[in-house]
Amino acid sequence: MVGSTLIEKIIRKHTDASDEEIYPGNIVWINLDLVTARDYAGPQVIDLFLKHYPGSNTFNNNKIIFTPDCYPYGNDPKHVKDQEKIRVFAKEHNIRVTDLGSGIGSHLLFRRGFSKPGDIAFGADSHYNILGALGILGQGAGDVMLAFAFKTGKSWIKIPETVKVKIEGKYTWPTTSKDLALYVLKQLHEYGITGKAVEFYGETISELTIDDRVTLCSLITEASGMIGFVSADEVTAEYYKQLNIDIELLSGDENANYASELTINVDNLGLYVACPPHPHNVKPIEEVLGTPIKSIIIGSCTNGSASDIHEAARVLKGSHVNPEVRFGIVPATREDFVEINLNGDMTVILEAGGNFYGSGCSTCAKGQYGLTGGETAVTLTTGNRNTQGKIGPADVYLASPVVAAATAIEGKIAKPIIKEMIK
Amino acid sequence: MSNEIIDGKARKVLVDDIDTDQIFHQSLLTIHNPEEIKPHIFGNLDGYRDFGKENHTDKILIVGKNFGKGSTRQQAVTGFLAHKIKAIIGASFGPIYYSNAVNAGLFLVEVPKIANFSIEENDELEINVAQSLLTNKTRGTSIKCEKIPIPVLDIIKAGGLMSLGEKM
Repeated sequence: MVGSTLIEKIIRKHTDASDEEIYPGNIVWINLDLVTARDYAGPQVIDLFLKHYPGSNTFNNNKIIFTPDCYPYGNDPKHVKDQEKIRVFAKEHNIRVTDLGSGIGSHLLFRRGFSKPGDIAFGADSHYNILGALGILGQGAGDVMLAFAFKTGKSWIKIPETVKVKIEGKYTWPTTSKDLALYVLKQLHEYGITGKAVEFYGETISELTIDDRVTLCSLITEASGMIGFVSADEVTAEYYKQLNIDIELLSGDENANYASELTINVDNLGLYVACPPHPHNVKPIEEVLGTPIKSIIIGSCTNGSASDIHEAARVLKGSHVNPEVRFGIVPATREDFVEINLNGDMTVILEAGGNFYGSGCSTCAKGQYGLTGGETAVTLTTGNRNTQGKIGPADVYLASPVVAAATAIEGKIAKPIIKEMIK
Repeated sequence: MSNEIIDGKARKVLVDDIDTDQIFHQSLLTIHNPEEIKPHIFGNLDGYRDFGKENHTDKILIVGKNFGKGSTRQQAVTGFLAHKIKAIIGASFGPIYYSNAVNAGLFLVEVPKIANFSIEENDELEINVAQSLLTNKTRGTSIKCEKIPIPVLDIIKAGGLMSLGEKM
């Protein structure tokens, strides 16, 4: 008997469709464990819900969360009104809100245990598939789909083909999971995974922390893939244990019907930078060393965790940010903010000349030009998008927190030199 | 609906890779009223610029492969609903277009080899949903369609995703 891919297993547990209907290309109804919306698209979801279902309750107020995170500074009066609309609707329907400053919704789902491996969570965020890092089927959805889901708890999904990707080899610091993610993005973009799911396997993957896995899976969107999964394994179980949640281990079957299999070797992987104007325009750092940079941001659902900020602190300890550079840090969640306070990383970075902003999305969300700057502010961020004009008017490079910190010191794209080593 | 038959006269626009800018040009994106969208459909597609001003009520539209690629604009779906076109048959559809169309209640049918199936303008066509079969009644020939998924039928029958939600 043919086995199942990881996504087929999750879908099967969430549908009334028969086993014969679970095959790539088919569309089935699924029952959602969690539906979320944020200050982008959330107000449109509410408008659609009120227009089409006036006087109705949601399918289950405990399975809906509003996670305003896109415009953490309400830097436009329209955003403030949209955020207000969310609070009013949420109060009326007794729906949880993780309000401004709580952090990026997708991260809160695993940081606070709102979602666990094997679950399906939909939200208005094209990077909801980062949840694949924990074996959760996370998907971004449009406002119509979400308004329907608010009412019914259901959605339809096209079952994708899955590509099995084995990552083998070892790399050492200053190379980190962001370099891995950029390198894998480049390979997968060339290989072609449009609309497909990916399952990552191999010893390299098993040894990654949850934060590293999130970084890796966050760039699948940029290769036009549907989602990248890491099996829910011992690392995942240990993570959820700290949240007092028991999970079931979850992976694809050895004999599942994979569309194709691919091995990527990352032995002695170097440092990588995504250059303008596309995330997949990934080059070895040596090709862009010395490029002048005026604005640097550490943040985003790709690299805004306490562990990412810690990597930057290691490089910045005892050094100073170049006076030509504006250096901002946007912790992904309040939990990350607390952690960098407790471990001293925040002080290290403040003393070096960094500037902290409230938790939430950073440069990728539309219109946060205040973080980057004007036409002369060539930017380097640890985020996931560098499409021309999206982040700011100038060119944008994507790199790891390590490279971001080294670049902040030099004022140009640089490799790290450490003065005082902290663990 | 699974027992239903959909029939209508053919209207051919058998061109591959028609993108949303050719269906409804980006310079018109501030228009949202279906009746105002209607005359602009295919207004940017060579050979079919007058399509939007013609009557296509109850017709079945025949298109090529990768129909509706490009942007997410909903008007590229709304326009065909406003024309009261019963279904669009194509070799394949762009994924976002497919999703937008289904959610709005526009019936799309995939026939991978549609280019090899003989259809002339105004031929009488019939789609047998249960049997996944397209028949050209004028010529007495048939060809298999891709199986229409159950959620798609549920949504089309209800007149769109939001309308289906009213009944659930």
